[in-house]
Amino acid sequence: MDPRFIRNFSIVAHIDHGKSTLADQLLLQTGTITQREFRDQILDDLDVERERGITVKARAVAINYEQDGQVYELNLVDTPGHVDFHYEVSRSLAACEGALLLVDAFQGVQAQTVANAYAAIESDLVIIPCINKIDLPVVRTAEVLDEMNSVLGIRPEEVLMVSGKSGIGITDVFRAIVERIPAPSGDSTAPLKAMIFDGKYDNYRGVVTYVRMREGRLRKGMKIALMRKGTSHEVLEVGQFRPNMAPCDELGPGQVGYFIAGIKELGGVHVGDTVTEANRPASDPFPGYKQPQQMVFCGMYPIEKTDFEKLRDELSKMSLNDASFTFVPETSDALGFGFRCGFLGMLHMEIIQQRLEKEANIDLIQTAPNVTYELLMMDGEIQKIDNPQDVPNTGGIKEFREPIVKVNFILPVDGIGPIMQLCADRRGIYKSTEYLGTTRAQLVYELPLAEVIYDMHDRLKSITRGYGTFDYEIIGFRPADLVKVDILVKGVRVDALASIMHRDNAERRGRGLCKRLKEEISKHQFEIPIQAAIGTRIIARETIAALRKNVTAKCYGGDITRKRKLWAKQREGKKRLKQFGEVEIPQKAFLSVLDVSDDM
Amino acid sequence: MTERTGVFPATGDTAFVETLAPFRVPRSAYIHVPFCRHRCGYCDFTLVAGRDDLIERYLSAMERELATLQTPRSVDTLFLGGGTPTHLAPAQLERFLELLRTWFDLARDAEFSVEANPRDLLESDRVNVLARLGVNRISLGVQSFDDTVLKRLERDHQADEVERVVEHLSRLIPNVALDLIFGVPGQTLESWRATLERAIALRPAHVSTYGLTFEKGTTFWTRRSKGELSPAPEDLEYEMYALAMDRLPAAGYGHYELSNFARPGRDCRHNETYWAGRPCFAFGPGAARYIAGVREIGHRSTTSWLAKVEAGESPVGYREELTAEDRAREALIVGLRRTRGVSRDEFARDHGFNLDELGRSAWDRLCQRGLIEATEGGYRLTRAGRFLADTVTVEFVGTT
Repeated sequence: MDPRFIRNFSIVAHIDHGKSTLADQLLLQTGTITQREFRDQILDDLDVERERGITVKARAVAINYEQDGQVYELNLVDTPGHVDFHYEVSRSLAACEGALLLVDAFQGVQAQTVANAYAAIESDLVIIPCINKIDLPVVRTAEVLDEMNSVLGIRPEEVLMVSGKSGIGITDVFRAIVERIPAPSGDSTAPLKAMIFDGKYDNYRGVVTYVRMREGRLRKGMKIALMRKGTSHEVLEVGQFRPNMAPCDELGPGQVGYFIAGIKELGGVHVGDTVTEANRPASDPFPGYKQPQQMVFCGMYPIEKTDFEKLRDELSKMSLNDASFTFVPETSDALGFGFRCGFLGMLHMEIIQQRLEKEANIDLIQTAPNVTYELLMMDGEIQKIDNPQDVPNTGGIKEFREPIVKVNFILPVDGIGPIMQLCADRRGIYKSTEYLGTTRAQLVYELPLAEVIYDMHDRLKSITRGYGTFDYEIIGFRPADLVKVDILVKGVRVDALASIMHRDNAERRGRGLCKRLKEEISKHQFEIPIQAAIGTRIIARETIAALRKNVTAKCYGGDITRKRKLWAKQREGKKRLKQFGEVEIPQKAFLSVLDVSDDM
Repeated sequence: MTERTGVFPATGDTAFVETLAPFRVPRSAYIHVPFCRHRCGYCDFTLVAGRDDLIERYLSAMERELATLQTPRSVDTLFLGGGTPTHLAPAQLERFLELLRTWFDLARDAEFSVEANPRDLLESDRVNVLARLGVNRISLGVQSFDDTVLKRLERDHQADEVERVVEHLSRLIPNVALDLIFGVPGQTLESWRATLERAIALRPAHVSTYGLTFEKGTTFWTRRSKGELSPAPEDLEYEMYALAMDRLPAAGYGHYELSNFARPGRDCRHNETYWAGRPCFAFGPGAARYIAGVREIGHRSTTSWLAKVEAGESPVGYREELTAEDRAREALIVGLRRTRGVSRDEFARDHGFNLDELGRSAWDRLCQRGLIEATEGGYRLTRAGRFLADTVTVEFVGTT
């Protein structure tokens, strides 16, 4: 393929601004898929993605497009749109020369529009700005053009008006891709040099590696080397996604596709690594990517002890397809043997957890998530804390540090006051306000990540009636006056309920936590005191009264079936209880650490 | 519960009992009479209120349903429940009881019970019919001797009337059982104590005490969710139940089942059938038949039930086939409701399971918690266990 006729691009947008619908439309109009094959969001092949309408894993599709008698190969590299997946966004962008930036004609510029647009600009991509969904009954096109201009410096005359859903303006999109995005360059006779931008694990064929070709050719039967580790492999198949895997003879400069080389583990393939010829290596490899940082952790424990190995297998399987997810075995006095799992963010955690429950069919107890902390000890050592129960109870801590993020809110102006109040309550440091036209503004804060991950999204949505959005990036660790709050249930310290919080909030949150637990734990034969403590000091207490009477009054012929079903249901519910001393605690209680809102 | 075919008879067919081993043939029959003057706010039983126009159709339909027996059956207990069986007019009641007597041969010492609303027995006409046709036990829906509580329960009688009814029953059908309800919104411990005393003073053979339950679909349920009715506090309900448990035995009534007390020899033999997990015939809407491990319940809607019978179709609205283990677990659960508890030998003989294996570690656990105690040949609830019987039950139920 002559590189002059290749265009590599991605589509970036805020969530729900119509990225997947537009992608589907591009495939449909070029006959890459037929109407019959057409399903909503064809690029999202994980069930979870389809269900939640978000793209998690990048994919790449080769589209043949004909214009003025010339056939072009357009490679659409899909990117995830959510804040948790910045890392995947940037590596997808590195495979492209251009990006379509989609903005919803009604919602306008949102936090992830800004984040994604900057990511594209940083990757030196040509941006084709589009206002999407112009056929909506209510649009504010003129204002949206203003917002794009004031926040991103986009000139109104560059902007295309489209509707991915009905196909309006799609021809303009194709023309702009061909005319505005530069063709890739590269010497097809030079030694092979391709960049790995993703990979997936196939049960039968091993690792399928996604590459963007820079120089040389990649053919079946070639002996290749992965430069980072110097491992070499024989290429068994090369191909492109159309949109299913379609083998081809070779890939040349500028092309995007995949190869299979009998690599057994996804761990053997590093995103950002350089693929070259074993006998004729390229002189300078790509700089590579830094590994993603897991910032959110939670414990996952099987309810049945015997499921521990099964859970390990499932987690391993999961991590094959998602290198940004980690897990290590841990033990809890309360929950037994389980795993400490690390995620990029909350959405990432929810997705993994849903997939586990769906695909693995293991009953799990999941502990409330926490961020990762750093402890500077008296002896100068720095300890990384992924689990509140690892905080030493004895002294020796010189400094307790927590991760700080820069948060970028985009919201209607009448939400500024309440959000500033919320951020102040959450220990935020105000940075700036910028007005985008007359009705909306961009607000920047520095906040502890711990204060952001739990319910910032929900609070923002409720304060702004759904119109506010935010995005964040980690800027580092800072010392704070943090304490570990323990929970004692009938005198027994339940390690899995421990949490780390700011000293100023400890009493209020401790009280809220005890109240929540009182609601979650059902009555027992005896009274159950629930206490919150910092070290040995009790800061809050609630008491669950004893269960006194629990009798089905009538049990005659006609009642038995119905009562039996009722009891069976209760019995089923008991499976998700865990025994602590004499007290049974339901799974939900372990998440209640999360739900302690400010007003409790 | 797996559906099996071939082994079991068609739905609604009872004639197949011919093929059963003698000990599996029911010796009890339950008849449901779904008529009431009005529906009380707490009641979710199968009944129609103010539809006396359906009574004649019901009587003809029962004639057809009973005919599925093909041949008269000998029974030890026959029980008419409702609804209100005594809501039938005396002539209808007479025809109905005659019909039942043609299909059921009462054994020599058989127990023939009829549930009755006190007000229906104020006059002697129905009492005479009942006595003449062999009814030898009356279960009276007294509920309370406190008129405020009766009003709250939406009952149509007054406390004084009960005394008159019991008085004139004493000559013809002296075996009288009184049903009482505690834990009624607004009811005090003193009101309950007075009700118990007045019940005892009438010297009935049997007393049932039921803690009020809020059932889905009743007006009580709706009013509770709207906050218009507040259930009795759990502590008060406890005190009330404890009072019954102390007071009735002191007056000579043995606490033989969680909600039932009786003078010696006056336990309700019909209800013992259920708690022993024994088979039972049943006819009428909402009535639950249990034969050879198959439970069939008539349509709970009286009009659907009527339409089915009249069309010559099976009026069964729900059917379940229990596996041997399901049956045994069920028998264990209902068996524990009896004060005598469950016995290892009887259980193995009647249900084919070893009690200890079926309960596994639950027995020890519950013994440690003081809810269960070992008896000579088995297990039973302790006094503490009777207050928390459902907590115990859940330990033994299967998870289907």
